[in-house]
Parts: sequence; structure tokens; C-alpha cells
Amino acid sequence: MAAAPRPGSEGADPALPLPAHIAGPPGRRRTPPERMPVYALVGKPNCGKTTLFNALTGLRQKVGNYPGVTVEKKVGETYSQHGHAMRVIDLPGAYSLAARSPDEAVTRDVLLGRRADTPQPDRIICVVDACNLERCLYFVHQILDLGRPVIVVLNMMDLTARAGLEVRPAELEEALGVPVISCAAVQGRGVVELRLAMSRRELPLARHSWTVPAPIAPVVAELQASLVAADGRPPLIARAEALLLLTDQDSVRVAGSTPLSAVTGAVLENWRRRWTGQGTDWSGTLIKARYEVIHGLCREVIRRTGDCGPSLADRADALLVNSGWGWLAFAAVMAVMFYAIFALAEYPMNLIDGVMADLADRVKDAMEPGDLQNLVTSGMIGGMGGVVIFLPQILILFLFVGLLESTGYMARAAALMDRPMSRVGLHGKSFIPLLGSYACAIPGIMATRTIENAKDRLVTILVAPLMSCSARLPVYLLMIATLLPGDAVPAATKAGLMFLMYALGTAGAFGFAWLFKRTFLRGDPPLMILELPPYQPPHFGEILRQMLERAWLFLKNAGTIILAISIVLWFLSTYPKHPDPAASPEVQIAHSFAGEAGRALEPLIQPLGFDWRIGIGLVTSFAAREVFVSSMGVIFGVEGAEGDTAPLRDALRAAQWPDGAPLFTPLVCLALMVYYVFAMQCMSTVAVVKRETNSWRWPLFQLAYLTGTAWVVTFLVYQSGRLLGF
Amino acid sequence: MSASPFPLIPLCQLPAGETGRILRLTGDEGFCQRIREMGCGEAALVTKLSGTTMSLCRVRGMRLALNHRAAIGILVEHLPLAPR
Repeated sequence: MAAAPRPGSEGADPALPLPAHIAGPPGRRRTPPERMPVYALVGKPNCGKTTLFNALTGLRQKVGNYPGVTVEKKVGETYSQHGHAMRVIDLPGAYSLAARSPDEAVTRDVLLGRRADTPQPDRIICVVDACNLERCLYFVHQILDLGRPVIVVLNMMDLTARAGLEVRPAELEEALGVPVISCAAVQGRGVVELRLAMSRRELPLARHSWTVPAPIAPVVAELQASLVAADGRPPLIARAEALLLLTDQDSVRVAGSTPLSAVTGAVLENWRRRWTGQGTDWSGTLIKARYEVIHGLCREVIRRTGDCGPSLADRADALLVNSGWGWLAFAAVMAVMFYAIFALAEYPMNLIDGVMADLADRVKDAMEPGDLQNLVTSGMIGGMGGVVIFLPQILILFLFVGLLESTGYMARAAALMDRPMSRVGLHGKSFIPLLGSYACAIPGIMATRTIENAKDRLVTILVAPLMSCSARLPVYLLMIATLLPGDAVPAATKAGLMFLMYALGTAGAFGFAWLFKRTFLRGDPPLMILELPPYQPPHFGEILRQMLERAWLFLKNAGTIILAISIVLWFLSTYPKHPDPAASPEVQIAHSFAGEAGRALEPLIQPLGFDWRIGIGLVTSFAAREVFVSSMGVIFGVEGAEGDTAPLRDALRAAQWPDGAPLFTPLVCLALMVYYVFAMQCMSTVAVVKRETNSWRWPLFQLAYLTGTAWVVTFLVYQSGRLLGF
Repeated sequence: MSASPFPLIPLCQLPAGETGRILRLTGDEGFCQRIREMGCGEAALVTKLSGTTMSLCRVRGMRLALNHRAAIGILVEHLPLAPR
């Protein structure tokens, strides 16, 4: 329900005249050209902002990245009640204009009009969680300081009664002087009212004002004047920026990509020195003053109707976070998730495998035999198939991540895991990316964006590839089948060996995190303050949308890189041609560039028990680990290696060194698995780490340290095994 | 800061079910600023829900989880009666 419209806010044409700062001084303005108005949706994470964005824009959305950073940019179009188009930007979730993470910095910079790639919004829609109004109004209060038209959306109004609260939108509208819309975005309630408010030609500016505490007022005025004169900021933006500079001690962080002028920097430094000498806590004073005003507002707007004692959610939290039951529940959730990822995904994976094989057969039939046919079937379809086959696992992972986030359990799991994680210097929030990396390091690394501390985030990115991803599975399965063939060995032994590899990777990740946090990424043990969202039933529509979005990004980002590399690898293993056109695939590959690379690599990998043929597998599987299996199939002349592993297993068991000694001894199989546990055999991960860290330094370091560790650990395993007589 | 008639204790030592008033924040400036912005600044009332190593609290209507290192930096006066 929308509160009553304010005088002057009526109107039916949403097309806006250009704002004064674009259109020029009023005296010289002619009839302003009309253009599509830009709305920014802002709010804290998990306040239902994206649900509202989807409800407003439907499928008329474009998802991209803000240039220079890896923060997602979502822009959509919606229509006013009279059919005029309006642009909506869904800004990343933020708690305050004092940004702490790359996501929050983008929100701040767009709102302050600092980003050249994004227009400064004409109007701002502040989405707030009605159950958590006092906390959310802090950000709204900062936004009102910007002096732009604002609409406040009180979301989750359906949950207020359960929380024992009565929130009165009309009183809030009266106090703030801006439209306040009551909403339950998940149920689609309030969207029409919001669209109506957005359709108004003119929106009132906030009537609400607050007084900056007296000791701080002079510096706000001086900073504002300097920001206008020396930095060329518009007056209201200058005031908001002055308040931000006084809220956050780190002026470089506040200024972001537009550094402060020397004059403003000197003004700030001068006041800081003075206050430090006087022992004035200016940051605390300013924040406290804001909260006092907000607290007064909330007293007028919120009435408590329920008991203040522990609620059902409080009891559930005590059980899930602070008791042994919490660990049991966590183990059960993880067990179900892993079962789904590894067992249920098998069916769609087999289906995709069949479709890709069928496609390759059809192309084979339709094309003349030759290099082009081979490029399309082996290079392109085979290469793409190697990526697409993991899509079901990625989708299942995102289904679970969506379910856990949507119900509110994810934050509880992060709180529970904080204790073991902090022992190695990792943040509780690192748990989510590391968990995701068991399926695929790419979404896992992308999930580190929620970690505020840059060092904690970097450590998590650096160790994430050590969590055994699903691409290692085909290698492990082939090696276990070669090492322990037939039914004579109990399945539990094979499963135990598999578990050992997962445990080794996890221990490696924790060990390296510990090492990095004590050396070049040294920092204080992480402090964790986590907001626990309310428990809610899952929003399946939103989860599905997120899954599809992620799936598309995965295919686009990873698939294109792998396709390109597959073509390169195909070329390397096909040329130069063997003089004898009837030469077997094994002879041909030995003659190719890849074969030469394998031979060149042999002295380096012989101490690990590997020969040049395994070397080719290591080289080709740099595109993706699972390529190792198909490479072995080609090298040992076994077709269809991805499906039934028995013929390849037998071929590997029969393979010999030139002196007749078996190549794939149990020790070599074990050494190969250990190598794959640690080695960074994934081009896509390298590319994603480059994107996320905005530099080649860290992916190259990661590549070097993981490959180096893989070599050293494999060497130790193989040589120790030989000394022990294996 | 005015002297408190009640004992000043770290948040992690506040018994479960009890309410305290935040009187002082200690530690890194960035941390203090962040938690002030989250509404856990001086004078805010905090109700401990459970835990000592991971403190679950209610502040300004929101539920927060704070690890031991974070909770030990928040000094509260233990109020004898929870305000209703």
C-alpha cells in the first residue's frame, strides 16, 4: 500500500527534464529535452532489492560488469503507468556510503556521480527491510543528504507481524517527506504502487533534515567549500562527501578513483591533527548523531506488538550456531549437497555426454574425413563438451547455494565455520567460496566478492583451487580404476582413496592459508560481525533465475576460453603430420608438437615416475583437468575414453617403459592423483583469478606455487614409495 | 565518557538473555567505525541471545553474530533489567 501522495508529487509523465547539472544554468535553459529517467535501486544485501528489480524489469535486463572492476552491473527497463520507458540500475548491496568492499564502492561512486560509465541516477529507490528499519535507515539517511528525489520501499512488510512489529508507512512518509511504499516483493505486493510513484513527473525532495553536531559543523562547512571550489563537486555532493570523509578515516578509500585535491587534503589533515590533539572522536560523534535522529524517527514509526523475549528464530540460532546440534545439522546439509552434486548430477551429465557424442557422430557423417572434420569433432565439440558436461553440477551447486541463502541458513553456516576457519587465519565468510570450489573453483572464486578485507579475500582466492573440484573426478576415477581394478577390492577402499584426495586438497588449502596469513598477506586475525537474516521459505523463482544467470555466465566465461584452447591443443597434437598417413593415433601424437613438448618435459617429470606420454596428458589437461582422460585415450589408441573406462584402464595397465617395466604402477597412479590434487591445471581458473584480482601477478603466482607444490609433493610421494619398495 | 554504576564487561562475557549498553569500543579504528555504522555504537542496547565464542546478539532489531575477537572489543555495562 502506498501512503497518500504528497502535494506537488502528482503528475503523469515520467519523462524527465535533464537535471540542472547537465542542462546548464536555468537562465539559459530552453525547453528541456526529454530523456529516459534513470532510477537506482539501493539497499543492504538481502533486503529484496534484486527481487524488486526483477519484478519491475522482467526479462528486459542487461547484465555486465562495471569497467575496471569485477562488480556486476545490472540495468533494466520498465514502463510507467502511461507506457513511458524508465531505466533501472540495480546497484550492489551496501550498508553505508562508507564503502568497504569493491561492490559497495561501485554503489557509492554511482550515487555520487563519479563513474563516467554510468549516469548519475535522477531518482533513487531505497529498499529497506521493514523488520530491520532502524539499521536500514542509516543508509537511507545518508542518501537523503545527496539532495536527490528518493522513494523509500518498505519491503518484507509481510514479515513484520511475525517479528512482533507494527510499521507505519504513512508516519515515515510524513517524517521524511518522500514517498514511502509498503511492499512484499516476493509476493509481488507493492510493485504496482511503486511503479505509480516512479511515474510521477515530480517527486518531492526530502523534507527531513538533521543538524550536524556542533563541534563538527565548522569542518563540514570548510570541507564542503573546499570540495566545491578545489575539486569541482556540486554543493550537495560535496556536503555528502565531506560527511563521508569524516565518517571514514581512510580518505583514499573514500575518494576512490577521484583523488582529493591537495587543498581539500590539507584541510582534512589540519582538522584531523587538531582533533587528535584534543582527543575528539569525530567519526563516532557523527555516526552517533545520525543514529540518534534515526532512533527518534523509529520511535514514531514502529510500535512493538509482540514479546521482547527470545523468539523461535533466536532459539533456532542458538541451536544451529552455538551447539553440537549445529555441527550435526551442518554435516547433514553438506552430505545431502555433495550427494546431489556427485550422484544426482550423473544422470544429466550422461545425457549431455550422449548428446555431444551424437553430435560429433552426426558431424563426422556429414563431413568429409580430414583435418577440418577432426577439428570440429575432436577440437571444438570435444572441447566444448568437456565444459558443458559439468553444467549440471554447477547448477546443483547454485541450487543449494540459493536455497541456503534464501532460507537464511548460509549466514548461520558461515558463523558456525568461523572458528575452524579463523585458526588458519581465514574469515568465516571464506567458507562459502571454498565450499563452492568443490564443484568448480570459478564460481567459488567469484563468490569471494562478499569478503570485505582485501587480504582475506586474496588468501581465499589463492587457496580455492586446492579444493578438489569436479573436473578432477574423471582423473581420480581413472587412476583408482587402474590402481585397484575389478571387484576384488571393496568399494569402500576405493571410496576411501577418493576421500583421501579430497582431504589432502582441503588440508593443503588450510595449510597454505595459514602460511600466507603469516607471511606476505599478514594481517590481524579476522574479526567477524555477520548480520543474521530472518529465516524464510525459499523463493524458488529467484533461485531459478539466479541458476540460469550463473549457468550462462559460466558457459560464456569458461566455455569461450576452453573452446579457444581446445582448438590450439588440437592443432598442437595434429601437426606436424607424420610422413606415413596410415600412422596410428599414438604414432601421430608422438610426432606432433604436443609429442615434442611431452618429450621435452620428460626429464622434468621422470623423477615423479611419469613418462612423455603422461607429459602430453599434463600439457593438454592444462585447458581443463578432465582433458587428461581423453588425451590418454588418444595416446593409447582407445576410443570413447570418457564413457566406459575399462578399455583405457586395461591399456594403461599394459603400458610399459622402453625397458619393459610397467608404466602405471600403483605408486605412479597414486603419484598422479597427488599431482592433480595440487596442480593448477585449469586455464579458466587462471583467467578468472586475473579478472578478480585485476592483475596478472596473482594468477601467475598461484600457477607457480601450486605447480611447484604439486611437483615437490608428488616427488616426495613417488621417491618415498620407491624407497619403501613399492 | 560518564562513569557507569554497573560493571563494564566485554560483550562476550554478557550472560545469555541479558541486556547491556555499549559504552566503549576498543581496537582498530576501522573496526570501530564499521560496527558503529552497523548500529552497535556507544549507547546502543544489546541483548545477548547465546554463545561465548560466537556471540549471538540483538541490536536495534537485527540479529548479529560476532566472533570472540570482535565481541571482546565491545565493552558493555550489564543492565540489571532488560528494557521492555
